[in-house]
Amino acid sequence: MGDGPDIKRRAPDIVMRLKRLGSLHQSRLSFMRILTRRLARDAWRFEQRAFQMDRGGVGHAVYTAHGPDRAYSLVAFAHDLPDDQRSDRVIAEAWDATFTLFDGIPTAQDIARLAKNVPLQETGRVSETELTLSRANRSVRLWAHVIERLAAGLQPDPQMIESVGYLMRTTAVYGSGKFGAADRAMIADRPEMHVPFQAEMLSVYLIRWFVRDLVQHMADARGAGKTAKLAPDIARRLGIGNSTGLGMAPFLINHPVLLNNWISVREDAIAQVRALAQATPGEADVFRDIFRRAKASVAVWRSDHPIQIEKLASLRADLAALSGKLRQTNFARSHPWDHLMRWAEDTLSEEGQEFLASLILEPYGALVDHLANHMASDAPEPARIKGTMPIARVRALVRQNFGWSEDLDWSAKEHTARAWYVSEEKLEPRLGERFDEPIAAYEQPLAPARDAIAALKALKPWEDTATIAAFLLRHPEHRHIIRRVQMTRHAPYAEIRDNTIGAEVLPIDMLRAKLSFFGATHFDPRSDRWVRICMFAGAPYPDDLTDKTSDLWVYPETPA
Amino acid sequence: MSLSLNEVETLAKKAARGAGYPWGLAEEAGLATRWLWGQGIDGCQEIAGLLGMCDGSDLSGWGPRPGAHWVAQYGTLCPIAAGAALSDHARLLPDETLTLENVARPMLLAPFAALAARRLQTQIALSWPETRLTTDGETLHIQGPAGAARATVTVAKAETLNNACPKLTRANPDSDTLKCLETFAHRTYAPATQASRLNGAGAGLSDND
Repeated sequence: MGDGPDIKRRAPDIVMRLKRLGSLHQSRLSFMRILTRRLARDAWRFEQRAFQMDRGGVGHAVYTAHGPDRAYSLVAFAHDLPDDQRSDRVIAEAWDATFTLFDGIPTAQDIARLAKNVPLQETGRVSETELTLSRANRSVRLWAHVIERLAAGLQPDPQMIESVGYLMRTTAVYGSGKFGAADRAMIADRPEMHVPFQAEMLSVYLIRWFVRDLVQHMADARGAGKTAKLAPDIARRLGIGNSTGLGMAPFLINHPVLLNNWISVREDAIAQVRALAQATPGEADVFRDIFRRAKASVAVWRSDHPIQIEKLASLRADLAALSGKLRQTNFARSHPWDHLMRWAEDTLSEEGQEFLASLILEPYGALVDHLANHMASDAPEPARIKGTMPIARVRALVRQNFGWSEDLDWSAKEHTARAWYVSEEKLEPRLGERFDEPIAAYEQPLAPARDAIAALKALKPWEDTATIAAFLLRHPEHRHIIRRVQMTRHAPYAEIRDNTIGAEVLPIDMLRAKLSFFGATHFDPRSDRWVRICMFAGAPYPDDLTDKTSDLWVYPETPA
Repeated sequence: MSLSLNEVETLAKKAARGAGYPWGLAEEAGLATRWLWGQGIDGCQEIAGLLGMCDGSDLSGWGPRPGAHWVAQYGTLCPIAAGAALSDHARLLPDETLTLENVARPMLLAPFAALAARRLQTQIALSWPETRLTTDGETLHIQGPAGAARATVTVAKAETLNNACPKLTRANPDSDTLKCLETFAHRTYAPATQASRLNGAGAGLSDND
């Protein structure tokens, strides 16, 4: 990487702490932006193939995206949901709208089959021609407001749009073989689906288009000839909301190699930019411009949750400090990005450091965007155990990944206060109080640190040269964690370096880490275990998607 | 019913856990079931048959005590525990044949023989009376009846294989087998309580806005 400071990726001991993972921000390598860039670059064509809705907005619609080799269709069902059924998300059994992403173009028979199943969500069945299954509810407040205004020939109040941000919010987007859908393996080798979660992101992108059409349709029905058309600049500010519960936290722990690949690609990109000896004036200008726009986005980020309020205050203070620093920074100096990152490490909170780390990638799409091809993990997880590994090597790997927890007193209640389990009620992951609730017998293996240290203890009497195969024959109870430990050989960022069952654990940190890779912004935790976000706000709709509009939409346009 | 391979893997893993397997072996049970379906073999029936046999007993007595003959302390070898040991010890396997005494649902050894074959870049054959399976890691060839409740199995390196089973990308278990596995899987779910409903998922707040 040339002369100058020796710049490596940041160490897992720094990056993989929960507090930092819970402070990650979107970047060029986020899945939504990767999707929209590809759709524009490969000149995808979009088509509303069906829109059969009655005046009350009940019916179905089909929106097809035609790529270079294949087409994908969002099949949407809109329902008439009484207000009292738009209930608390955990026990919901009906929604305002339900969706599936169909692999290709559905026939009338496909639509008839899907109409019987998609509205039922978890209690229905889809098939190998479906890639995702999802549902959404209206923001009652904004939905009513928009229809009322448009029907009266007026545009919605921009402040209302700003304060809610979406007309509908999804409460789940299932993929990867769930409820009968196609397995990931069936689509993983398609270039447009190779990057993780592209089917899910495409679903949400098409849902947003459908929602714009649906609200216009219902306003037209209400206002007849005098209805206004929703102004494009207002429509563009609307995203799709998303309520994300605990399920994402176990997902991150259950896919260690995938997590590693996301983090290591981002770390690679950051290291490559830091290693640049110079920044051209043009690159510095791009950075300054995007910094200004990103700051405007942070300015309108609201949350009522005490933890996020505090984090936002530090982020805003960080951005003020960073603004000052940028005024004094001469980008013509040697290694300007590394200089900024070092300054940030000494000066800013994790929120500010990670904000900067994501932002320095912006001028360097040509350098870093291709790294996205390494974010998938299509090797089977769980992986095969390497039985010949000597026990000395296993011990070393445990210490490398979990050394931070070796001295933790794992018999102390505060370190094992929580347990992850699956409830029989909705078959969904939950987090409970181990010593207050009858859940320990149902615990899921989501405490790698505790389990790794327990295995280390069991390994104590074994010779360094003995094989792990011999150990596992005697101790099958440690097989799960030994497998994980072995996976870290080639995946240094696979393991979260914090206690996932301690009294202080904040599941929202894991949720935010995952959602930041989706490309979400404006995280709004509603408790310590679920969070609301907005997706694709600011993005061009398909009719406006070009190479010019496909990438930086996440940053609001503000006057210079 | 048509299930994705992801679904059968998850279901078999949960069912094995529900029957008392430690998580690491339950994961192997899930992978094995998925692999068999990928070869067109009803892996659900195999794993359901196994769980029915060992349910309620101390599983530590079902694991192999290796030597040239692998036997289980309690007389019946668990194919998941024995298969995992076979795969873990692939590089340490003797060149001559190895005998696994009295294996329950021996078909479940095939996915592990495949892992070992891939590891050693060779073909491995599993034989019991009337049946011979050969695998190179990716494909499986079967001579004779596939299903057996228990049998003594010899494991040996093999020359070639032909007529591999056609690959499948979906699973089609019958409803009784599915129900059986779901019953085992259900044991891994914690009973619903009010505390769980309100605090466990953190959704005491209404999501309406």
